[in-house]
Amino acid sequence: MYIFIQNKLLCMQTKILLDEEQMPKKWYNIQADLKSPLDPPLNPKTQKPIGPEDLSAIFPMELIRQEVTTDRQINIPEEVQDVLRLWRPSPLYRAHRLEKFLKTPAKIYYKWEGVSPAGSHKPNTAVPQAYYNMKAGIERIATETGAGQWGSALAFATMLYDLQCTIYMVRSSYTQKPYRKSMMQVWGAECIPSPSTKTNAGRAMLEKDPDTPGSLGMAISEAVEDAASHGNTNYALGSVLNHVCLHQTVIGLECREQLAMVDDYPDVVIGCIGGGTNFAGISFPFAGDKLTGKHKDVDLIAVEPASCPTLTKGLFTYDLADEAGYTPLLKMFTLGHDFVPPSIHAGGLRYHGDSPIVSQLVYDGVMRAVAYHQSEVFEAANMFARSEGIIVAPETSHAVKSTIDEALKCKKTGKEKTILFNCSGHGNFDMSAYDAYYAGSLVDYEYPDELIKESLARIPKIS
Amino acid sequence: MKKIGFLINPVAGMGGAVGLKGTDGKVEESRRRGAEPQSRNRAKITLSLLKNNPDLFFLTCSGEMGETILHETGISNYRLLYKYTGNSTSEDTKKAASYFMKEGVDLILFCGGDGTARDIFDIAGRNVPILGIPAGVKMYSAVFAIDPVAAAELLMGTDPWSFRDSDVLDINEERYRAGELSARLFGVARTPAIPGKIQESKQVFEEQDEERAKGEIASFMHEVMLPDTLYILGAGTTTESIASRIGVKKTLLGVDAVKNGQIVVQDADEKTLLDLIRNEKDVRIIISPIGAQGFILGRGNQQISASVVRHVGVKNIIVVATSHKLRETPVLYVDTGDPTLNREFGDSIQVISGYRMAQRRKIFQHVHE
Repeated sequence: MYIFIQNKLLCMQTKILLDEEQMPKKWYNIQADLKSPLDPPLNPKTQKPIGPEDLSAIFPMELIRQEVTTDRQINIPEEVQDVLRLWRPSPLYRAHRLEKFLKTPAKIYYKWEGVSPAGSHKPNTAVPQAYYNMKAGIERIATETGAGQWGSALAFATMLYDLQCTIYMVRSSYTQKPYRKSMMQVWGAECIPSPSTKTNAGRAMLEKDPDTPGSLGMAISEAVEDAASHGNTNYALGSVLNHVCLHQTVIGLECREQLAMVDDYPDVVIGCIGGGTNFAGISFPFAGDKLTGKHKDVDLIAVEPASCPTLTKGLFTYDLADEAGYTPLLKMFTLGHDFVPPSIHAGGLRYHGDSPIVSQLVYDGVMRAVAYHQSEVFEAANMFARSEGIIVAPETSHAVKSTIDEALKCKKTGKEKTILFNCSGHGNFDMSAYDAYYAGSLVDYEYPDELIKESLARIPKIS
Repeated sequence: MKKIGFLINPVAGMGGAVGLKGTDGKVEESRRRGAEPQSRNRAKITLSLLKNNPDLFFLTCSGEMGETILHETGISNYRLLYKYTGNSTSEDTKKAASYFMKEGVDLILFCGGDGTARDIFDIAGRNVPILGIPAGVKMYSAVFAIDPVAAAELLMGTDPWSFRDSDVLDINEERYRAGELSARLFGVARTPAIPGKIQESKQVFEEQDEERAKGEIASFMHEVMLPDTLYILGAGTTTESIASRIGVKKTLLGVDAVKNGQIVVQDADEKTLLDLIRNEKDVRIIISPIGAQGFILGRGNQQISASVVRHVGVKNIIVVATSHKLRETPVLYVDTGDPTLNREFGDSIQVISGYRMAQRRKIFQHVHE
């Protein structure tokens, strides 16, 4: 892209790159800056706050510490940084071509996380989680995966530290995205469609409904049961939890540096949201600036699917993180732990709850949420691919849609806002979803919230 | 080997081109106006695609009602079952259908329009599946394949066949000619469907089996139905399964009302509904699109008139339909007879399609009205 300034031809910068030594050495922990501490996770049986010992059967102690600490900064171990440097710092792009296409005065930036080996932001936390488990002498990790992004990321990370890995993949995605499963195999992991007959939870679910498409909540139950019933095995979660959000903050920390290099700071920060950590990753450093009064007006937008609108239509209350009830009760926005979202293509956004920290910040008005239907987000993704070239993941297309809408608002108002969004992963294994979009066969699922309000009464009651 | 009862209504479609809006009782006048029989050529397209299928055996009627066309297409694996004399009538269709039933056919394939569908369904009911090759003037019923080629594809598609529910509508032709569409739901037939064909986008659907899908919708509605609220339930099998889930018996073809888990009125007409809702505080209407075109109101649910809808309020209408049914009707229609009220439905509507699941569907709106 070129522009003329005073008759001089200038090259407009497209990629803003950091050197390897500029990669963050510490994660940012937003718990240090929250106005009040988070409501604690509760034991589902006693309904009393859980202690570290409740989690030690499935998590290594360092991750349990990171889950609850209020230290503002946490060192990224040298051995983890070594691995992250395979693709980090990731590039920040100025979306000149999209801006031109939209004829918007807004400046659009996107952080491209699709450069990781697994093709998304997920390895940012898979690597440290595998590392801390290896350090704790664990030999095998069990996990779940929705769209396959997290499963492939953990397969990659466990391979680096010589750990075995078993992945329970939500059945509808297992069928839709066979190549994600192949990636896990390349990196030496075992991938099982969930619900499976390998666990009590899986067998119970199959008995209840043999044709279930599965859900993230179900797969979590299976992985947790696997970990809890094998001494050498721990569990790893790719989203929702505080330590996962923490590891993802490298995204936003890099963005803040990269924008400073071009003398900019975002007015709007956008990310798609399923369990909440890709959004947390890009937004928490900016939310910290907002909470501490440095940048009070930054607008932080979480984008969710209309078929699973946890933040826009759910309740802020204690609920289980999984289907079977093995996990602690978390205070979060939820649609009910037994809600099985429809099989949309953005499988990674099919989760009944959300990160407790993101939930609290949305509840407090520090962040806000919007929801979109499936076909409009693919329309946006198509626009993005035809202007910027990148074919984004169906999950990411939600962030693209919101970005385009914000940029079009600027076109109306004439405001030159700086919009930053997390381009969290590529969609190269999601072409059947794009095919469906072109065939006009995408179904615009939505959540019948008006009718459903009564049924949320079945969430476990906390006195 | 599958036994297929095959018949053609030789005069179906004749009244259309000459402006008679149907052929019932108008065969001679159609001929006088120069109408050509439509159905034999349509049926030939389907048959020529089925010709080399050794798995199909046809049972048929004499002459133009079947045998002649089978013969012309080059199909020899058939047996003549019913002979008629003179010009074929609606009675011949019914008689042939009952012969097919006695022979235990696996399916009745017919070529005709809404009238033919109604006559065959009258005999076959839900015991034997039926499939229509479209050739009539009016085809509001959902038993028709979209065209003659699709009819052949449906029969060759899966083995064993899978089936869906399809509404058979009874259109009063006299009133239709007078410019008034009176479409009563006559029954719900079973019609072959190809789930695989509809799944070509490789998207995973929430529910393939229609009975199960109805069960999911019923469970959800049961969960969200409120006490002390009157629910008007429209015609069809989806609303019937909701009634059965809450433990009451609903008329399949009529409009009923329930409150606090009890039937208040069965098979109500418009006046009964108006009298009933006048004294109720909270009223909701649960309806499912009816017929091939996907009419939410105006076909098969005409008791739920514009006055009833106005009284209850558009926002208190809950539309339910299985995703299978919705795939067949990409756009939904509303025809309350009151254009202003039709417009109140807007461009799209939420349709409950499963347990705690809905789809946003487009509603056709006239640009000029």
